[in-house]
Amino acid sequence: MNRSQEVTAFSQDDAKILEEVMNIAFGKASADLAKVVDIRILLTAPKVEFLKADDLLQWIKQDTKTDDTLNMIEQNFWGKYTGSAFLAFPSSASKGLISLFDDDDELPLGEKSPLLEKETLLEVGNILIGACVGKVAELLDDNVSFSPPRLVPQLVIDNLSSEAISSKLNDPDKMAILIKTVFNFEDKDVKGFLFLVAGEESMQWLKMALKNFMAKF
Amino acid sequence: MAKKLLVVDDSPVSRSIIKKCLPKGHDFELYEADDGRQGLEKFQEVRPDATLLDLTMPVMDGFEALAEIKKVDPDALVIVLTADIQPKAYEKVMALGAAMVIPKPPSPETLADGLAKTGLI
Repeated sequence: MNRSQEVTAFSQDDAKILEEVMNIAFGKASADLAKVVDIRILLTAPKVEFLKADDLLQWIKQDTKTDDTLNMIEQNFWGKYTGSAFLAFPSSASKGLISLFDDDDELPLGEKSPLLEKETLLEVGNILIGACVGKVAELLDDNVSFSPPRLVPQLVIDNLSSEAISSKLNDPDKMAILIKTVFNFEDKDVKGFLFLVAGEESMQWLKMALKNFMAKF
Repeated sequence: MAKKLLVVDDSPVSRSIIKKCLPKGHDFELYEADDGRQGLEKFQEVRPDATLLDLTMPVMDGFEALAEIKKVDPDALVIVLTADIQPKAYEKVMALGAAMVIPKPPSPETLADGLAKTGLI
């Protein structure tokens, strides 16, 4: 089965079920993050697309319609569904995120500690990816373990040959499930993308798990 | 006599789950809408006994739809069924006049309990 056939094998009905599972998972993730920042997080309904992994970054660039660089947080997970989760924010939006966690208003953002910025982004990624993937696993009767999150800062999307990018994003054998949502932190417009990359074996398990999920009702 | 129940949710999967979780032995006349604006229009058209309303929807979200429904009928029974489980979301919909909030995914038990507590069944 070639890659285009794999995509076809994942039906529109499967995608709709996955969107609802992700909707529930994003709700859990935003609730967990809202506890930390004490601010209401507005989410758009998630949209699921299936892409070749090496097409992902160009897709994001087209969708953001910006030449901004991306800050990307990567976290691997293992279970029946095994893969990598990536949370990407345009760098300008990342500054808005960081300000939510920072009580020190005296220093302008550009003068804040790079270590603080890195730690903040890693924590946001850890909370959102952990809660989201964890809830998906719970709903689909899986149990996952996570690697520590890793930050790839200031990623230039056109520079796909950069060694900073995970090899998973350039692997032609990997399929990606792109789940996009737009985060709005009350008055701050922060657009972020969460996407999962997994191999064919996990995709086949996922298809069956989605069927089993619907059979519960 | 059948109770008119309006389900407003952009996800056909979620609407399907809700319908499957409705308590057995009760007669419901079901209506559906897939965004808040359609939900408001359907509410005005059929005047349901209860509305099950999602929050995160395109075109018009559930917060706005709830506010508009309450303008049409301040006594409308609206149960919010949502994945948005943030306390501030809960506070906001209760302030807008929702009868209760049921987190997604519902189960036959949570849905039956919600419909009983709000007096629909």
